[in-house]
Amino acid sequence: MRLRKLTLRHFRNVGFAALEFSGRQQFLVGANGQGKTNLLEAAGFLTALRSFRTTENKLLVGHTQHTAAIACELEHERLGETRVTIKLRHDGKELWCDQARVTRLADHLGKFPTVVFSSQDLQLVRGSPAGRRRWLDLTLAAMDPGYFGALQKFSRALAGRNALLKAGRAVDGELGAFEQILAAAAAELIGLRASGLQALGAQLKASYAKLCDDAEPAGLGYEPNFDEPSAEALLARLEAGRERDRQMRTTLVGPHRDDFHFSVRHTAARDFASEGQQRSLVLALRLAQAAWFQEKSGVRPVMLADDVLGELDPARRRRFWAAIDPASQVLATGTALPDGELGAWQIFEVADGAFVEKPARVEAIP
Amino acid sequence: MTPAFEKLQKHLKQLPGLGYRSSERIALHLLVEKPGQLPALVAALEEAARAVRRCARCGNLAEAEHCAICADERRDRSVVCVVEHVPDLVAIERSGAYRGSYHVLHGKLSPIHGVGPDDLNVAALRARIESGEVAELILALSNDVEGEATCHYLTEHLPAGRDVRITRIGFGLPSGGGVLYADSVTLKSALDGRRTYH
Ligand SMILES: [Zn+2]
Repeated sequence: MRLRKLTLRHFRNVGFAALEFSGRQQFLVGANGQGKTNLLEAAGFLTALRSFRTTENKLLVGHTQHTAAIACELEHERLGETRVTIKLRHDGKELWCDQARVTRLADHLGKFPTVVFSSQDLQLVRGSPAGRRRWLDLTLAAMDPGYFGALQKFSRALAGRNALLKAGRAVDGELGAFEQILAAAAAELIGLRASGLQALGAQLKASYAKLCDDAEPAGLGYEPNFDEPSAEALLARLEAGRERDRQMRTTLVGPHRDDFHFSVRHTAARDFASEGQQRSLVLALRLAQAAWFQEKSGVRPVMLADDVLGELDPARRRRFWAAIDPASQVLATGTALPDGELGAWQIFEVADGAFVEKPARVEAIP
Repeated sequence: MTPAFEKLQKHLKQLPGLGYRSSERIALHLLVEKPGQLPALVAALEEAARAVRRCARCGNLAEAEHCAICADERRDRSVVCVVEHVPDLVAIERSGAYRGSYHVLHGKLSPIHGVGPDDLNVAALRARIESGEVAELILALSNDVEGEATCHYLTEHLPAGRDVRITRIGFGLPSGGGVLYADSVTLKSALDGRRTYH
């Protein structure tokens, strides 16, 4: 798909902006803190009505405002010319697709894929399991309403069981009522995470080979906290763990404690890989995500490159550029324009939440 | 605004669905725009407060010991449809598809909101089953995690040794939604298509 027009109102520091895109490469240039990333965040919001930066809606709504709006006109492989409008309030959001209100997120997921490349991505290799789980959940849920449904059910049942444990008066009967739902949803999640990571790992191996000369095989390894995708087995484990969970006042076993690792030559990359390898791994992961989105949805994702082109050395940048599907739209940001070999960009200058298109193409800063 | 006005508005604002503006509008309407209707409203409130209570058997609204449905000899008391709230019962009645009796729980298990089995009308249901009058329970609770957990709880914690068939309606109910949001046709097919729970 291609974004043709993006309109923001009261979104973070952007009071009003209407950007018309032509061609497949747009570059937003400006100093830090001016609103470049906010625009990418709004474009990325389209995919699963989630921000890649925050879980708090109210941070997205402009200071002193009640509602923010994102409106998008796009060309879509399956839907043709489509208009999507999102309204954000502090306590909720509304979605319209071609004037029709969409009330179930499950009806929206899987239609409008975008992939964010961020300078924060290195944390996916180095950071805590929570960050990887969040990426995995967002990625799988964005393409699979079934995953989204299982995740919602799991989270709600887990919150119920944990509330009982926390209140310190958890009787077996009530715990059991929530454990049955918890175990069934958890088994579904574990199965879908295993197959999803396998497919994403295969894509990552292919993208990593394009980014690096030395043909070391890269991959993803699932580290489930409970490694049997069977509701019965997990139910038995939850029942057996009740006493310990009561003492700890929380549920100690389940997919909410899952993790996965990156590997290079079958060794976990967290501790052994060089910084260069780790950078290539996260780029490869995002490329894998894009390839997988396209495979699942039949729609070519829009690439949102937040301040990453400037961080790569010229050789790696060239390889990265060559690895991107040449037909996909790229919306990129940076404090300086990229060099000429990355092709011709439509350029917008960003200052204090305002976006001004540069009329003529300007030679790149060397 | 006067102190008495503000007091009234504060009470109105505590009612479900009313915010600051709407409670202000209602208070103005009652006191200033249509004060003539006020005595009738006050009398109706007093009468309802005196007369309306929970049916001792099923928890439905009643003005005697038993509600109109429990008092109706033609209703089949061996079949009991368990619902969360009175409006759910009203919705099923309106579908015209059901001739059994009801049991209103007045809620569902929700640990996040501190609602446990003792907060629900479960003891009276247990008593009905122990009396031996119940042959079938139809669980018509919402199609969400709390509704499902309540079904599990009831299925496993009702008196043992009674041969009660337990079914759950669910087919056709909007996911995440409750009985109240289903239309009559959906409710009728949901009742026809109920499945045995265990
Ligand atoms: Zn009754």
